Amino acid sequence: MSKKILTVDDSKMVRMIVTSTFLPFDCVIVGAADGAEGVEVALKEKPDLIFLDITMPVLNGIETLAKIRATPEIAAIPVVMLTAESDGQRLGMADQLKVSGYIAKPFKGEQLIALTKKIIPLAPKPPEPKKP
Amino acid sequence: MSTADTLLKKYQLAAPPDNVLRLGKLVQGAFDTNAHEIATIIKADPAIADRVIKIATRGRDIDMDIDSAVVRIGVHQITLVVMSELLMHAVNKTFSTMLRLNLEAQEMLNPYGDQVVGCIHFKGKATGRVFLRIPCKAADWMVPRFLGKDLPMKPAELLPDVVGEVLNIVGGNFKSNLVDAGLSCSLSVPQVETKTGFAAGVEDGEVHLSIPFAAEGMGLFLDLIISPVAG
Repeated sequence: MSKKILTVDDSKMVRMIVTSTFLPFDCVIVGAADGAEGVEVALKEKPDLIFLDITMPVLNGIETLAKIRATPEIAAIPVVMLTAESDGQRLGMADQLKVSGYIAKPFKGEQLIALTKKIIPLAPKPPEPKKP
Repeated sequence: MSTADTLLKKYQLAAPPDNVLRLGKLVQGAFDTNAHEIATIIKADPAIADRVIKIATRGRDIDMDIDSAVVRIGVHQITLVVMSELLMHAVNKTFSTMLRLNLEAQEMLNPYGDQVVGCIHFKGKATGRVFLRIPCKAADWMVPRFLGKDLPMKPAELLPDVVGEVLNIVGGNFKSNLVDAGLSCSLSVPQVETKTGFAAGVEDGEVHLSIPFAAEGMGLFLDLIISPVAG
């Protein structure tokens, strides 16, 4: 069954990179451009995994993570921080909110795939049905 | 092992560069550390020591030891040099990881015509701004290296967004280094514009360092401007 991944990042560039990274896999990527939108999309789409940036407008990544953990319908969704900020303070806050992983930008697509496979099963994209 | 070290290990993250510790020592002792102690701190990194001497001698061929150079340029300029090394570390890491490019250090460069200039501000115990200047002609190699070959629009149209994101990543890494060195601060959203000339707009009390480097045979620039660190 196809997996759903939500990428929450104010950078369109990063959302594009995450989307293209998972193209070979049987999964759907949905995006949100800030933390508040991320919570909304998570509630609507119920993704299997969330990649979450920290420095974002409206709600930053730590506030967003706290909101996700406090919202019963989405509280158990695994979250991986994908951020350029990896100082001790940020790391400590994310750890307390039970993140499943922490990837520091700059990153390689291979890192996203390797960590995702540890959290949810990822299958290759099935071949497209032949046109009659 | 400290809590921070335990978390770095748990999430398999790289330890901060040694210069974070150096910057921490420098700023914590900025008002009561003597010149010899500062010289001892910075001597451990030959790149920093070399740049401090170059600034003190203004690039002229004069014999000067590091202790004399420290006295001549002072703590504010030395802090700038140590911060600039952290910044260049972040730039090198970002280019090598996300663009698969190793940058070449340059002594001096003439800027290429039109350029995309990104600026990010940091404010708090450390205050200043960082500029990243990329020639518009770099779009053809920089954008596909960052986003892949299937682009939704022309590379030149995407270059400002790519420069903004590169600067965002560099700025985030730099800010984390400052926080780990005891200089908590906040970071602005990058502002990006295309222009022909460049003026850093250095104000009274600020110090400025421009670092030229090259990639794919093109000259790029990083500029760091800082106010005196709050004591």
